[in-house]
Amino acid sequence: MIEELEIILETTSKILQKHVNHGLRQNIVSKNTDILNLWNDIEQNGLPKISVKEKFGGYEIPFFSILPLIKIINNHGTPLPLSETILSNYILSESDINPPNGIVTFATNTKNIQIENNIISGDILSVPYLNLSKNLLIIHEFKNVKQAILIDEINGEITHKKNFLAEPRYDIKVENLNIAEIKPVKNNIEFNFLGAILRSTQMIGAMEKVLDLSINYCSERKQFGRALSKFQAIQHQIADMAVELSASSAALSAITDLDLGDKNYNDIAISKIRAGAAAGKLIAISHQVHGAIGFTKEYELSYFTKNLNSWRNDFGNESFWEDFLGKRFLKKSNENLWEYLT
Amino acid sequence: MSKFNFPFIKETNELLNLRKQVREFIISCLNNNEFTPSPDAWVFSADPNFSKKLGSKSWLGMSFPKEYGGHERTALERYVVTEELLSSGAPVAAHWIADRQSGSQILRYGNEKQKLSIIPRITAGECFFAIGMSEPDSGSDLASVKTKATKTKNGWKLEGRKIWSTGAHLAHYMIVLARTSPASDKNRHEGLSQFLVDLSLPNVKITGIPDMTDQRHFNETLFDDVELTNDSLLGEEGKGWKQVVGELALERSGPERFLSHFTLLDSFINEFRNSLLHNGSKIVGKLISEIQTLRRMSFSVASMIQNGESPETQAAFVKELGNKFEKMMIETLREFSNIVPLYEWPNQLQNLFEDATLRIPSNSLRGGTTEIMKGIIARQLGLR
Repeated sequence: MIEELEIILETTSKILQKHVNHGLRQNIVSKNTDILNLWNDIEQNGLPKISVKEKFGGYEIPFFSILPLIKIINNHGTPLPLSETILSNYILSESDINPPNGIVTFATNTKNIQIENNIISGDILSVPYLNLSKNLLIIHEFKNVKQAILIDEINGEITHKKNFLAEPRYDIKVENLNIAEIKPVKNNIEFNFLGAILRSTQMIGAMEKVLDLSINYCSERKQFGRALSKFQAIQHQIADMAVELSASSAALSAITDLDLGDKNYNDIAISKIRAGAAAGKLIAISHQVHGAIGFTKEYELSYFTKNLNSWRNDFGNESFWEDFLGKRFLKKSNENLWEYLT
Repeated sequence: MSKFNFPFIKETNELLNLRKQVREFIISCLNNNEFTPSPDAWVFSADPNFSKKLGSKSWLGMSFPKEYGGHERTALERYVVTEELLSSGAPVAAHWIADRQSGSQILRYGNEKQKLSIIPRITAGECFFAIGMSEPDSGSDLASVKTKATKTKNGWKLEGRKIWSTGAHLAHYMIVLARTSPASDKNRHEGLSQFLVDLSLPNVKITGIPDMTDQRHFNETLFDDVELTNDSLLGEEGKGWKQVVGELALERSGPERFLSHFTLLDSFINEFRNSLLHNGSKIVGKLISEIQTLRRMSFSVASMIQNGESPETQAAFVKELGNKFEKMMIETLREFSNIVPLYEWPNQLQNLFEDATLRIPSNSLRGGTTEIMKGIIARQLGLR
């Protein structure tokens, strides 16, 4: 399986190198044939169903093992919801629903959901790349059980289009939409936790790029007769970025267990806290060392920093997970901190 | 970025058992009033009897070869033992430097006679070391040291001064970085050598320097034409820089870089647990997430050391992040005093807090400053 994964990682890098450029990122519409070509290459190589069971035509590589793939996708700044599709398809497959072909996006949050006779209404919030997707996954508690709900013909009234992000995101209000499939989610699947892992991994992939861009820019750009990278003030800021990024990677690497039982909750919380905090610092420092050029649409830095801004807020920000982690420990009143940590 | 990965190392059941043994030992010491938990214990709290006791438990020189009295256990096992000792504030300062870096340095570069005469005493907890790097005119710029060793008929003559040597007044030896030939124009790292200096020799004069907390640990050591035997040279003449850089990797990556004030945090949480549950779960979560991340990174570096790698840059990452964490921790506790005012904290907790507040500026100085750590990282990123 490790060999298989390595081949997949290599293939993915090649595909993304071939198709993805900053021009493509600025024209994310379904009519763009370059976007379609990229998706076709991705789909032909089976990437959307990498964690889907073999019986549904997937590679059945566990979701935790494919985090390096998520990192690569986001290190390249791929302007398609491939990460979202991989997670959605994994959840569908684990819930015994055959994932559809094509892009599958998800609802980050929902409000006022009503379900009756396989018909759904309500507010579906913060959906990435709704403009490219026919398929949508919603996780919602219904009849006291968490359900995976697949909609394969989304339409509704767009109530909000978030405009400060690199990736398109929409809130929509749907009324009486047909549900294609609805099944209870497997016990060990917690959407909020999986989402937190996904976003932490995406952030690390993007932060690696942000660090590389900053190093390259500062090594080339000359002011006062020397490269910016020769100024100690700049060197130390970039070192700060590397420290934050390494800490985030170390935190994420602790999640190696396939069984997403509650003993993994702390590690997931720590990953999201660490990556979210690091992203805040990398956004600020990378823009600072880039100067005005980093603030232009034409230069690619902002694509990554805008995404970092949105991912650090998804599925619980640092405060949310700090509170979760703190409460979880403090409620175990029989254990002192060191016992708990070890 | 691949060179800055910190691969996750899982703690095995064997390690957990070892952890339990050390913990039981510490609890029995505490029950017998053998020590009072102290902040920054690896710097300030020296108790030769306690060190000897650890030696008899086989918890010193753990990774050293058996032929020199060591126990041939892994760097990961040593890591677990040091974590337990630090988190309980045990009095480990006497042997700390010998066990952490000097012993390894002698095993790596020393000759047979040096190894046989010193290593068994380190593992027994009977031989202590001080660091001989900084000088009055050489701090961060270590390559500028002026202490000089010149060849004589019978060995070497050492003259110069070393400063900030923690625990030199209790130590038996100091590994001294000295110039043995002038620096070349191209490379100022050339011409340095390390010496193993017996601090009881004539013409060695150790003077204490009280620090701002009024404690005695700093020293200035004067070498006034000290006669050294040929055997005192540690490693190769002229290769001192390379040797000292490796020593610093051992010095910088350990859990003392983020557990120096753990006793404060532990007492704080025990005291205010209920109040924190309602008003401070977020700050506790933040501290937990940072400690756990640091523990993983430091443990990962221990595994690199075990595998024979030289993780100098990774050590700088751990030190830099650990120093930041400890400063953030003090500030975080301070903010909590808006919920329970400081004057209402139990006296002992107030003392720990005030102590830590005073001592915290030294964290990012000792073992290399923040600026040096960032310089090392920047070099690895190709910026220098």
